[in-house]
Amino acid sequence: MDPVTVEIIKGKLLATADEMGIILARTSMSPVIYEVLDFACGITDADAQLVAQTNGITLFTGTFAMQVQSILRKYAGRIAPGDVYMTNDPYAGGTHTADIALIKPVFVGNQLIAFAIAVAHWSEVGGKVPGSLSPDATEIFQEGVQFPQLRLFRGGELVDEVVDIIAANVRLPKMSLGDLNAEIAAVRIADARLQEICARYGVGALRHTFTDILDHGERTSRKAIAEIPDGVYAADDYIDGDGISGAQIPIHVSVTVAGDEMTIDFTGTSPSVAGPINCARGALMSATKTIFKAITDPQAPSNEGWFRPLRIVIPDNTVFSATKPTPTGWYYEGSAYVSELVWKALAPLAPHRLTAGSYVSLCASYIVGTDPRTNELFVHIEPHNGGWGAGVDKDGESGLIATTDGDTYNYPVELVEGKFPLRVERYSFNVEDGVGAGRFRGGYGLVREYRILTGRAGTYASIGRSIERPWGVAGGRPGTVNYMEITTDEQQYRGARVPHTPLAEGSLVRIVTGGGGGYGSPLDRDPGRVLDDVLDGLITLEQACTVYGVIIREEALDRDATQRERTQRSQGAAR
Amino acid sequence: MSLRLAADIGGTFTDLVVFDEVSGDIDVAKALTTPRAFADGVMDTIAVGEVSLADVGYVVHGTTIVINAITERKGVRTALVTTAGFRDVLEIGRGNRPDLYNMRFEKPRPFVPRRWRFEVRERIDRDGQVLRPLRPEDLDAVVARCRRDEIQAIAICLLHAYANPAHEDACAAYLQRHLPDVAISASHDITREWREYERSSTTVLNAYVQPIADTYLGQLEAALGQGGLRGELHVMQSNGGTTPFSAARHRPIYLIESGPVAGVMGAAMVGQLIEQPNVISMDIGGTTAKCSLIEDGHPKVSTEYKLFKTRLFPGYPIQVPVVDIVEIGAGGGSIARFDDGGAFKVGPASAGADPGPASYGRGGTEPTVTDAKLLTGVINPDYFLGGRLSLDVEAARRAMQKVADRLRVTVDDAAVAVIRLVDANMINALKLVSVQRGYDPRDFILVASGGGGAMHAAALGQELGVREVVVPNYPGYFSALGMLMTEQRVDLVRTQLNRTSELSIADVVHAFTALREEVEAQFRHDGVAPSHLLFRYGLDARYHGQDHTVSIALDLNGTTTMTSLEQLFHTAHKKLYTFELAQTPIEVVNYRLTGLYASRRPEIRRLQAKHASGSERKGSRPVNFGDAGVLAVPVYEREALAPGFHCNGPAIVEEPSSTTLIYPGQRMEVDPYGQLRIHMRAQAAGA
Repeated sequence: MDPVTVEIIKGKLLATADEMGIILARTSMSPVIYEVLDFACGITDADAQLVAQTNGITLFTGTFAMQVQSILRKYAGRIAPGDVYMTNDPYAGGTHTADIALIKPVFVGNQLIAFAIAVAHWSEVGGKVPGSLSPDATEIFQEGVQFPQLRLFRGGELVDEVVDIIAANVRLPKMSLGDLNAEIAAVRIADARLQEICARYGVGALRHTFTDILDHGERTSRKAIAEIPDGVYAADDYIDGDGISGAQIPIHVSVTVAGDEMTIDFTGTSPSVAGPINCARGALMSATKTIFKAITDPQAPSNEGWFRPLRIVIPDNTVFSATKPTPTGWYYEGSAYVSELVWKALAPLAPHRLTAGSYVSLCASYIVGTDPRTNELFVHIEPHNGGWGAGVDKDGESGLIATTDGDTYNYPVELVEGKFPLRVERYSFNVEDGVGAGRFRGGYGLVREYRILTGRAGTYASIGRSIERPWGVAGGRPGTVNYMEITTDEQQYRGARVPHTPLAEGSLVRIVTGGGGGYGSPLDRDPGRVLDDVLDGLITLEQACTVYGVIIREEALDRDATQRERTQRSQGAAR
Repeated sequence: MSLRLAADIGGTFTDLVVFDEVSGDIDVAKALTTPRAFADGVMDTIAVGEVSLADVGYVVHGTTIVINAITERKGVRTALVTTAGFRDVLEIGRGNRPDLYNMRFEKPRPFVPRRWRFEVRERIDRDGQVLRPLRPEDLDAVVARCRRDEIQAIAICLLHAYANPAHEDACAAYLQRHLPDVAISASHDITREWREYERSSTTVLNAYVQPIADTYLGQLEAALGQGGLRGELHVMQSNGGTTPFSAARHRPIYLIESGPVAGVMGAAMVGQLIEQPNVISMDIGGTTAKCSLIEDGHPKVSTEYKLFKTRLFPGYPIQVPVVDIVEIGAGGGSIARFDDGGAFKVGPASAGADPGPASYGRGGTEPTVTDAKLLTGVINPDYFLGGRLSLDVEAARRAMQKVADRLRVTVDDAAVAVIRLVDANMINALKLVSVQRGYDPRDFILVASGGGGAMHAAALGQELGVREVVVPNYPGYFSALGMLMTEQRVDLVRTQLNRTSELSIADVVHAFTALREEVEAQFRHDGVAPSHLLFRYGLDARYHGQDHTVSIALDLNGTTTMTSLEQLFHTAHKKLYTFELAQTPIEVVNYRLTGLYASRRPEIRRLQAKHASGSERKGSRPVNFGDAGVLAVPVYEREALAPGFHCNGPAIVEEPSSTTLIYPGQRMEVDPYGQLRIHMRAQAAGA
C-alpha cells in the first residue's frame, strides 16, 4: 500500500480523535470535564490496540487498551453493530469509579474494524460523600456505583434501565446524565468519521494504516531505548500516608535497559493499603508508559506500538496493583508516585528529557455543600498546580499541573465565584515555603485560599508529598511539601489526607502546594539569576547570601564580595 | 478626493491597492517592507503606484506592528496592577501542559516580570458589589516604583471589573494624574468578559504595545499629511472591521490579526458580489495556509483567540473579537521529509523565502511543495513572479530525489506524493472550520487567495465537495483588497449571567440598549451619526451546568420572544454538538453587539466584455495529475481572458502572482468581474 495514503489516513485519525475531544469538552456538564478537561478520547484497532488519542490527560490514555480488552473478553462473539458499552471498573483497566469509559465498536457491514473510546471524570457517581471519592474509604463499595462492562446501547437503542440505575444512585443526576450524553456524542462522531474513511479508501487501507501506525511507534521507541546505556537503574521513595494511617509507604522500582528493550519492575513495593490511594494495573501501566514516552519521543503521537519493547513487572495486591475490593478512589495519588519513581530512576540518564523531582500530587480538593441562593447541592472539585523540578539548564516551572494530568486548566477565580458560594482571597506563588535551591532552582508552588460563604459545606482532600520532599539532582536541594489548612475563628488545622470535614460559614480553606527540587549546587547559580529572584521578591537578601553565596548591595551585585564568599564556602566544603 | 487606498504591510512586501470611485478602476503596487520604519514602506508603495495623495479621500491600513512587537518582545517596559492576593495570576496562567509527555515543558513567559506586578487592596464581588473599597494610597508606592524604573505603560486588571469598573477607573485616573507620560490600559476598557487571567493577558499585551502603536500611527499620519493627504485614516482590526487611527491608538491589541483577517473579508466580499454568501476562504502563502468560514456573509468572530498557540504550546489569550481563522503549517515552502520512524511528512517546517525552495537556486536543498508543483508541470519555470525569478528545474529534481529514493518511486511520482500529502493536510484544516463545526461544504463556495491558493484550490474544492471554487482578481493583493471593502466596526461584549427563565424579552432589549448607547458614543466620537449605523445582536448562551457557550444571532425586530430565543439556542446547540437538552434551563452569559458604519464600500464593477483576441491560449505543457496520468494541458494568460470565456479542464491559467490549475472533468469560466469560477466534476455517490 502506498505510504502517502497511509499518512493521509493517519492525519484523519488524529483529526477524529481531536474532534471527539472538542465535542466532549464543550457539551459535558461537570466543571471538572469542561473547565479542567479531565477526560481523554481515542481509537483502538479491533484488537484493542490504541492507534490515535486526544491531547488530554496522560493517565487515561494508557488505560484504553485494557478497558477495550475487558469488553472483548466479556462479550466475545456477541459484540454487534449499534452497541455501546460503559465501564468504570478499576480492576479491569479503569482507574476509579468516577472515571466513566464509553466504548463503541465500529463496524463496516458486519466486520468489526475498530473501537472508539471516551473516558471522562464525572463530578458525581454516588457513594459515601458528595463527589464520590472519600479520602478515608476502605472498600470500593463506598466509592459510588460500579458499571462493570455494561451494554448501554443494544442495536442502536439506549437501554433505559441502565439510565434509571444511574439516575437513582447519583446525587446530581442531571449533571451525570449530561456527561453521559457528551461521551455518547464523542464516540458517535468517531464512528461516523471512520465510516467516511472506509467508504473513501476501503477497510483494507484503514487496517493497513493501523498496522503501520503501530509498527512506526515500535521502531521509534526501540531506537530511543537503544541510545540509553544498558544497565539496571533503581529508585526508592515513600508515599506519605493513605488516609487511614499516616505511616509512610515504601515503594521501589528497578529499571533494566538491555539493547532496545526495557523492563520496569516494581517488585519490592509495599502491599496494598487500607485507604483509597492504591491504584490498579490499568493506572499503573498508564503512569509507567507516561515516563517511557517522555524519555523516548515526547512529541510524536502516542499509540500502543510504542510500548511493545516495554515490559512491566509487578506482583498482585501491591499499592500499585490493587484488586477488588481495595479502594482506588484516589488512585491518582498512587499512580503519580509510579510516574515519579520511574522518572527518578531514569533522571540521571536522560537530563535532556527529565528534571528534578516535582510536587507530584494532584493535590485534588473537594469543597461541597448547599448553595444558599438556590438551595442546590454543589460540588467543587479541583486539582491544584504546583512547583516542578529544575532541569540541567533551566529553572523549574511554577504553578504547572502535575504529571498525571496534562492539557488540564486551572479554574478561573471569577468563574468559581460566579458558580459556587465561595470567595477566593488569594491565588499566588507560595513564596513563604520556597523551592529547592540549585544551580537551577525548582519552580514555585501556589497558595489558593477559599472563604466559605455558606453554613452548609464541607471539604476533603488527599494530598501527597506532604512529608517526603521533592528530590534534587546533582547537589540540588530538595523542594517543599504540599498541605491543606483550615482556619476558623477558634482554631487552625493542617493536614494532607483530609477526610470529609464540616466547615462553618466564614472559615478559610487554604491549599498550599510545594516547590520543585533543584539541579546542581546553589553555589554555582548565575549571580544574575539570584539578583533577579531578589528583585522579584522570591528570595530575601539574606537567602541570596546564605543559600547561594551571592552578595547584593542596593539592588546590585557585588561581584567581588560574591566571588570571595563563594570561594570561601567551597574551600570550607572541600575541607 | 475620489480615490480610496489600502496599504497592507506583510512580512516581505507592502501592498497597495487604489480604487477610483469615479472610474471604478483598480490599481495595485508592491514595495519591499521596511521593518525599521514601516511608514517608509507605505510611502514607497505610494511613490511606486504614483498616487496623488491629495486625491485620496479614504485610507485603510493593515499593519503587523502589533504582532511584531509582541513576537520579538520589543514592547515597552510594562507594569501590572492587580487586586491584592493576585499579582501572580499573569504568570500562573491556566497551568496546562498541552505537550503532555514533555517533562521539561516550559510555560508561556509573562510579559511583565514579578517585580513590576503590583497589588492594591480592594475587592468587588461577582455581582459588582464593592466588598472592600479601593485604597488609593496603595498606589503611591506603585507610582514611586514606576517612576524609578522608568515604566512606560501600566495595565490594570482587578477582579470582577467586567461587572463593575469603578475601581479600575479610579486606579487609572490616579495613575494618569501622577504619571502623565505613562500609557495606562484598564481591563474593562479593552474587554468586559470574565476570566481574570485572559483579561489580564489581554490588557498587558495592549499596554505593552500601546506606546509603539501610538508613535507609529502618529508618524504615518504625519507622513501622509505631508504628502498632501486630507482624507480619512482608518486601520484594519481583527474583528473584520476598520476603526479610525485615533481609536486604534488606545486599543492597538484590536489590530493583532489585521492582515489575515482582511483576506477573509475579501473572500466575504467576493461571496456577496456573486450572491453566494456562504464562503470558505483559503489563503495559501509560503509557510502557512489559513482557512476561515463565512456564513451568510458574516465571518465567525470570537473572543477565544490565543496568540502563538499550537498543539504543544498554550499561547497567550487575547480576549478581544477576532475572526476565527485556522492556520496550519502548509504552504509553498513546506519541506517534505521522513521522521525518525520513517514516516513521510510535508511541513510544518518551511524553507521560507530565504533560502526558499530548492528551485529558487538560493542554496535551498530540501524538497518543497513549490518544487513539487514545478516538477509536476503546474508552475512555469520561466513565468514565476511574472518571470522575475527563473526557477531551476534541475535543482528541484535533485532535491526531490531524496523523497523518490525513500519511497522507491520515480522523481515525478515523488512530486505527486508531496502534493497529495500537503493537500490532505489542507483538507483537514478546511474540514476543521466546516464539517467539524456542523457545516455542509455543499452549501459553500471556496475562495482561494495568496500566492499558492489557486494552485491547490481546484483539488481541495473537489475533495471537500464545495459548490464551486473562485479565484478572485489580484489574488496576491487580496488582503489589501479585502480591507478596502471593509466597514468601520465596533464590537462590544458584556458578561451578565441570567437564566432565560428569569428574563423577559424587555430585559434583553434593555441590556442591548445600554450597549448600543456605548457603541453610538464611540462612533459619534469618530464623527459618525447614529442614524448611519447598522447593528447586529448576538448572545452567548449555554445549558445550566455547562461552561462553554454557543453564540446565536438575534433579530430584535419586535417578533422575538423568549421562547423563540430559546428555540434558536436549542437549534444552534444541536447543529454544533449533535444534541439538545430541551428540559434543561438555559443561561445567557454574554451580550454581543456589533455596530457597523456601512455606507463606505466601493462598488466593484462588471468588466467590459472584450472581444476574443485569439491570444488567450499561450501554449500547452504536460502536467502530472497522479492517478489521472500525465496530460497535455492548454495554458492561458489570465490578462487575456475576457468575461464569458470558458474552457474545460485540464487547463492552466497563468498570471504574474499566481497559477490556477483546473482538473480534468472540471469546467472554468470567467465571470463578468473577471474572476475565475471553477465548477466541480460531478461526484460519484458516496465518495
